[in-house]
Amino acid sequence: MMTPVTKRFFSLSLLLPLAVALIGCSDSSTNTSPPPNDVSAANSPASVEKIQLQLNWFPEAEHGGFYAADLNGHYTAAGVEVTILPGGPNAAVIQKVDQGDVEFAVASADQVLTGRAGGAKVVAVFAPLQMSPRCIMVHEKSGIKSLAELKGVTLAMSPGAAYAEFLKKKVPLTDVKIVPYPGNVTQFLLDDNYAQQGYVFSEPFDAKKEGGDPVALMVSDLGFNPYTSILITSEKTIKENPELVRKVVAAVTKGWQEYLDQPEATNKRLNELNPAMGLDVLEYGVEALKPLCVTEEIDISKMGAMTPQRWNDLAAQLIEAEVIDSGSVKPEEAFTTEFLPTSAK
Amino acid sequence: MSSSRPNASAAKLFSRGVNWIGPPILLFIIVVGVWFVVTHLHEIPKYLLPRPEQVFEAAWNQKGMLAGALWLTAQESLCGFGLSLVIGVVIAFAFSQSVFIRRSCYPYAIFLQTVPIVAIAPLIITWFGNGFKSILLVSIILSLFPIITNTTTGLISVDANLVNLFRLYNASRWQILLKLRFPHALPYLITGAKISSGLSVIGAIVGEFLVGYSQTEIGLGYLILQSSAQLKTAQLFAAVIASAVLGIAIFGTVNALGNRLIANWTDTPSDNVNG
Repeated sequence: MMTPVTKRFFSLSLLLPLAVALIGCSDSSTNTSPPPNDVSAANSPASVEKIQLQLNWFPEAEHGGFYAADLNGHYTAAGVEVTILPGGPNAAVIQKVDQGDVEFAVASADQVLTGRAGGAKVVAVFAPLQMSPRCIMVHEKSGIKSLAELKGVTLAMSPGAAYAEFLKKKVPLTDVKIVPYPGNVTQFLLDDNYAQQGYVFSEPFDAKKEGGDPVALMVSDLGFNPYTSILITSEKTIKENPELVRKVVAAVTKGWQEYLDQPEATNKRLNELNPAMGLDVLEYGVEALKPLCVTEEIDISKMGAMTPQRWNDLAAQLIEAEVIDSGSVKPEEAFTTEFLPTSAK
Repeated sequence: MSSSRPNASAAKLFSRGVNWIGPPILLFIIVVGVWFVVTHLHEIPKYLLPRPEQVFEAAWNQKGMLAGALWLTAQESLCGFGLSLVIGVVIAFAFSQSVFIRRSCYPYAIFLQTVPIVAIAPLIITWFGNGFKSILLVSIILSLFPIITNTTTGLISVDANLVNLFRLYNASRWQILLKLRFPHALPYLITGAKISSGLSVIGAIVGEFLVGYSQTEIGLGYLILQSSAQLKTAQLFAAVIASAVLGIAIFGTVNALGNRLIANWTDTPSDNVNG
């Protein structure tokens, strides 16, 4: 006869296969995603490949080029139907691409390296923002003119963000109280001794509009400058369907070149999708984006270019900031310029 | 029953200990075993489900930081829980004294239960600043309600005949409250405290997420956010396990103290119900 205790364990043991099945499910879901080239699509001349592009945040200026490619018909012309999925605070772009839930996503270079250190096989294929838009916004009346002078303030940053760990390593931050980033500029406006993270084309504009006196201090001035708003895909997609990657990269390259030149229609679309982004902030945003995308070395014809040097530097900085372990990633595997137009290689 | 034979009683104590600790340990071994086998048979990316030994390794490599974080979060939870207990009992005392007070204040007590902390976090920061005080407040908001509602139920559900008996002997309101209602409410209070013990840990962690601080003093909540942002899932698991251990420790203490307290008043300790 079973004692009550053994009975209890007996019923527990029935649950175990269920747990195993659940884990098995999540594993097999990667295999059940539709094959990139199914037979019917390959046979019909007017075939359209349907793919998804996951954004890392709500649609805003940093995604302009990806939407411009859609509005101007570059995806369709290449025979690809792209559904752009808006992101948010928990967009999980790295995970979704690695799991095969989406074919492409938008991320930053440091996310690609931390993702690869965690075992996600994602690869950067196109980098529109050469300069990181990441800034720390301080009050003008604080008199702080560079990140090295940051002291005696409350500083709001996202816990664990790579740039934040780097900043903590590089700047003494005397009497700086670090608090979680609240997601808006309210505290900044209320407190003259408050500094916070931002994207140079977004938060400073909001703060100014509300009557604040923001000064944006660029984190890239410290030397931490990951490529941003980059297009990523999985090693699997690159291996199984390189042609798709080539088509999409070509389309977004045109999209970005056109967005920087003529942003009006795209901004209107962004504003419809994300009414919180007014046309005024988007207009400001695209002007602020131009110097980040087009630099002295990278003119507009080289849109999307990446160099091994930059990836190596970033990996070294992440190791120094203890965001990733030494030897956990090979930077040369984290990106490829193979799919970029010849002018950008 | 008696302890005239020390050997027998030691053996009994031992077997009682095994009965208590054995089942959860066995379950732990089974869960870790299945986890180990599954992660070694399938190729699951580390960020999705790390192997048990990777979690152990992450915890060991970061043991100093993890212990510090556990200590800080423990302080926040224990203070939050203790204050909830005191405030909750005082409010329940007030509620038990008049239907009018109860009716007018109950809706606001329920407010505590339903208020989305995320929505009022900016307000809490504005009032109390980032840091310990604000985290404590979040912990209290989350863990107060079960104490109020359970204790109130206990205080007012006293047998009317007993109240009449006390009145017959000219007992004052205060005497009835302390000598009749409160002892009667103790099991209810303890049930409320058991629910709140876990909630106070959740409150401390949520508080660290929303109104916390991060540079010199790192709590488990911060560690969870950081690990999650950096896709260090093994470290995330270690932090989550540490917070679970903290919750279990507080719950276990409340449970043990509760049983001891009730043992003086009732003949059915809640021991059998909650293990």
